[in-house]
Amino acid sequence: MSLLTVNGLAKSFGAVAALNGVSFELGEGEILALIGPNGAGKTTCLNILGGQLRPERGSIRLNGRELVGLPARRLCRLGVGRTFQIAAVFGSMTVRENVQMALIAGRRRVLGLWRPAGALYVEEAIELLERVGMADQAERLCGLLAYGDLKRVELAIALANWPVVLLMDEPTAGMAPEERRALMRLSAEIARERRMGILFTEHDMDVVFAHADRIIVLDRGEIIAEGAPSRVRQDARVREVYLGQVAGAA
Amino acid sequence: MLSVRGLNTFYGQAHILSDLELEVARGEVVVLLGRNGAGKSTTLKSVIGLVRPVCGEIRFHGRSIRGLPPYAVSRLGIGYVPEERRIFTELTVMENLEVGRRPARPGAPGWTVDRIFALFPNLGEMRWRGAAMMSGGEQQMLAVARTLMGNPALLLLDEPSEGLAPLIVSRMAQMVRELKSEGLTVVLAEQNLRFAALVGDRAYVIEKGRIRHSGTMTQLAADEPSWAAYLAV
Amino acid sequence: MGNPALSFVAIELLTGLATAAVLFLVSCGLSLIFGVTRIVNFAHGSFYMLGAYIAYSLVSRAGGPVGFWGGLLLASAAVGLIGVAMEVFVLRRLYGGPELFPLLATFGVVLVVEDAVLAIWGPQDLLGPRAPGLKGAIEVFGHRFPSYELFLIALGVGVAGGLWLLVHRTRWGTLVRAATQDWEMVGALGVRQATLFTGVFFVGAFLAGLGGAVQLPLEAADHQMDLSIIIEAFVVVVVGGMGSIAGAFLASVIIGELQTFGILVFPKLTLVLIFVVMAVVLVIRPQGLLGRPQPEAGMNRAVEVGTGAGFQVPAVLLYTLCALVLAVPLVSGNYGRVVLTEVATLSLFAASLYFMMGPGGLVSFGHAAYFGLGAYGVALLVAKLGWGMAAALAAAGVLAGVGALVFGWFCVRLSGVYFAMLTLAFAQMVWAAAVQWDALTGGDNGVLGVWPAPWAGNKLVFCYLALGLCGGCVALLRRVLRAPFGYTLRAGRDSALRCDAIGIDVRRHQWLAFSLAGLFAGISGGLYALSKGGVFPTVMSVSRSIDAIVMVLLGGLETMAGSPVGAAVFTGLREQIGSLTDYWRAVVGAIIIALVIAFPRGIVGFIGARAARLAQGGR
Repeated sequence: MSLLTVNGLAKSFGAVAALNGVSFELGEGEILALIGPNGAGKTTCLNILGGQLRPERGSIRLNGRELVGLPARRLCRLGVGRTFQIAAVFGSMTVRENVQMALIAGRRRVLGLWRPAGALYVEEAIELLERVGMADQAERLCGLLAYGDLKRVELAIALANWPVVLLMDEPTAGMAPEERRALMRLSAEIARERRMGILFTEHDMDVVFAHADRIIVLDRGEIIAEGAPSRVRQDARVREVYLGQVAGAA
Repeated sequence: MLSVRGLNTFYGQAHILSDLELEVARGEVVVLLGRNGAGKSTTLKSVIGLVRPVCGEIRFHGRSIRGLPPYAVSRLGIGYVPEERRIFTELTVMENLEVGRRPARPGAPGWTVDRIFALFPNLGEMRWRGAAMMSGGEQQMLAVARTLMGNPALLLLDEPSEGLAPLIVSRMAQMVRELKSEGLTVVLAEQNLRFAALVGDRAYVIEKGRIRHSGTMTQLAADEPSWAAYLAV
Repeated sequence: MGNPALSFVAIELLTGLATAAVLFLVSCGLSLIFGVTRIVNFAHGSFYMLGAYIAYSLVSRAGGPVGFWGGLLLASAAVGLIGVAMEVFVLRRLYGGPELFPLLATFGVVLVVEDAVLAIWGPQDLLGPRAPGLKGAIEVFGHRFPSYELFLIALGVGVAGGLWLLVHRTRWGTLVRAATQDWEMVGALGVRQATLFTGVFFVGAFLAGLGGAVQLPLEAADHQMDLSIIIEAFVVVVVGGMGSIAGAFLASVIIGELQTFGILVFPKLTLVLIFVVMAVVLVIRPQGLLGRPQPEAGMNRAVEVGTGAGFQVPAVLLYTLCALVLAVPLVSGNYGRVVLTEVATLSLFAASLYFMMGPGGLVSFGHAAYFGLGAYGVALLVAKLGWGMAAALAAAGVLAGVGALVFGWFCVRLSGVYFAMLTLAFAQMVWAAAVQWDALTGGDNGVLGVWPAPWAGNKLVFCYLALGLCGGCVALLRRVLRAPFGYTLRAGRDSALRCDAIGIDVRRHQWLAFSLAGLFAGISGGLYALSKGGVFPTVMSVSRSIDAIVMVLLGGLETMAGSPVGAAVFTGLREQIGSLTDYWRAVVGAIIIALVIAFPRGIVGFIGARAARLAQGGR
């Protein structure tokens, strides 16, 4: 069943159309990759879905509810989780406190003035950290973690309030190859057990073809191919877009 | 002319370049081929000094330039054209060229505004126009022209074909060939294989911050299946 | 113009333009420097003051060696060189660091220059000779108008034109404009940034010096002229748009005319009026009238906050220290009790600023406003309405909290230096109200007869009262920082992006934190008024706001325990050095400069880092 339905999304910056009528669907437990060359509109698309940008046209429906125009902090309450290209975590806090912060925010307890925050939702936080394999580093400061570990902490934060859709912008950028595989395998497992849909952008084609159920290829703001990995790999237009065009050549 | 050994660069905790090695000889056009995020731009930025590599060696004419500030690297004769072009949009075409102007190197004919406009005739037609009012292709040409005004011996071009229509891309290729015939050495970061094939003498294929393959353009063309996967899907 | 009312308006317009001309000379350089280097130069007012004093020395003897006009130019050039020295020896070490450090360093220069001027020229006001050839007046619209003021208008326009030519028609100006947009790219094209910056400082300081020098025949040079002009110039630059010279011109005219006509219409409210204009512009068009929108700098870049590498003040140490402090009043004389009382009140003041500045990343340059609101609140309630001490203190906290709630709503819409400027503007507004609304506040004479309740009148008892109340409040603030509220505040500083994505309204949270900090500053201000027996407008002057920042920085941004330590060290130093020399301000200035260059993490942060290194080495 379709969870997220995107219809005719358009956005331009000045005279440049970053997105021009993009439509697709994301199902429960499905892992959908959004790929394309530089400037194709991948990050714009993710930022619109995450509420960081507002589209000029188009609609986004999550379980039938319109999301366009809502700020990110409202979207998260409706079940949209997000990880960023450069992991966005709280560097001055420990790993556990990071997850606790997400839980505190999710339960609307941010105005608490008395009870120490460090004692709130400890078990849940540790459980989440166990799920992403970071429980043994729970007391370390995030600012001192290796980058791959930081990404796993960010994943735990994003999962804390049970999103139904998880948006991941280049989840494996800057990681070592083994870490990349591990992170994506973990995300895929969680998506399946929670029946959560994942939409991610990625440059690493090994990651894309190993983990995506379906792939959308964007070029200059438009979808030029969509389908199973094997089909996309054989698409002549996709190949052309990736290898480039020159008038009079090719 | 340019020699890079064991280069490692990080952005925060993210390891972008690992043990990168490059050799560029005088008069060559060398292409760094790779997808987005492969580390091409970071390589060029490490050379010009906009990012600081953690370790490794960068030599230009045998002299170590790692750790020098960009202005000092530029004064040694390395010109840099960034991927985002970074045109001064508040300035006119002529003023943009003026910012780039440096004295000619001894023994080499200096670039003048007239020579620039001979190479890029359409820039000459809009010399008093504000750079904000130019198209993407025109801005790209202005970015190259501005750097040429510094009379570099080595030109670092970061994705000159990005986001441009095929016709403009082939004009860019023609420009690179003309610069080569003027005696310039060029290092070009590209993901457009066709464009690279039109202008390059040699190429390095970069993926995940490492050199995966290298050779002359003809060697690479013969051997395409073994490395093209690093570029395509 | 036969109509007398109209010709009167025309004359007033001209007077306003003369004011605007001098204002423009100062603010265009400030704007130029900010545009290129991103440094908000507090010392620009000092350049102006130095211009006036140096010019006085050069031209005061009639027919001196260089004559009147030569003297003005020479004075300006000398000030230009002082600006160069400041760039080369102080600011150059701070490029690429947190954006607020250069601002603080230039404030350090302000203090040093103030005392240098005092040492060289003495405390009296100095009036220069009148300009040769321009001593008379000219008939304009049937009124006599001083010809020197006409000259000032012409000079203002001339400098504006000359500056325009310099910036738009020379290679140097082209580089400056390019650097304003993207200095990194200019560097990659082979231009040495440091040389360009030095040049910009020379031009800026030269023009400010000229502004001070030409002002000399009109108004005596005095020791307050640096801060009064810098605040006005800030307003001009913010209203006109930071970095825009045309904007500085337009805003100078607006502010100059506003001052001239403001005196006629609201003689009591001119200063308030100016800051209201600034606040309105900042809220409606944060980049100023002709400014370009600034890219979001991110608040966490305003100050460097370490990862706080697990550094906690050991509890045993904390309790021992508290016990020691509590024992002091028993053994010290009344002098010691008074000093300790002051340390206690300033500790709470510093801790309340730390609350928003450290965990919140919100660096306020106007925290004294809330201290002052509390102080005046208590003073008026106790002295004029006869309220009890406890009720007055509580009311003072509420008053300051409400003030912070109102001003904070505007401030949290901005970030970084813009946030700092707006907090400063609001603080100056409150300060101006205290100075000018003498029916209520007694003006410069202040409010006297503010004494604690009879049972607390004894110095010993009051000292314990202050220690208990301030200690309790600091502990309370510390508790709040450990509660979800404080965590959320830190989260907003660390990553606003992440906060947004997990459902936190960062701006609202910062607003509440701002108000809470104001409330506690108000309580400390109230106590301060009671301990001194009265209040004066200086309780909320710019320097008090900066004192608070210095205390927090002295203590370090890593831990709340730092702020009381900073307050104690600061007060102790002032008492010690104040008894040895008259030049206390210069010492503070030097401390500020040393602090931002050498110890950006403060005393407690520094000790903490050392302790952490030792602990690691021992393992």
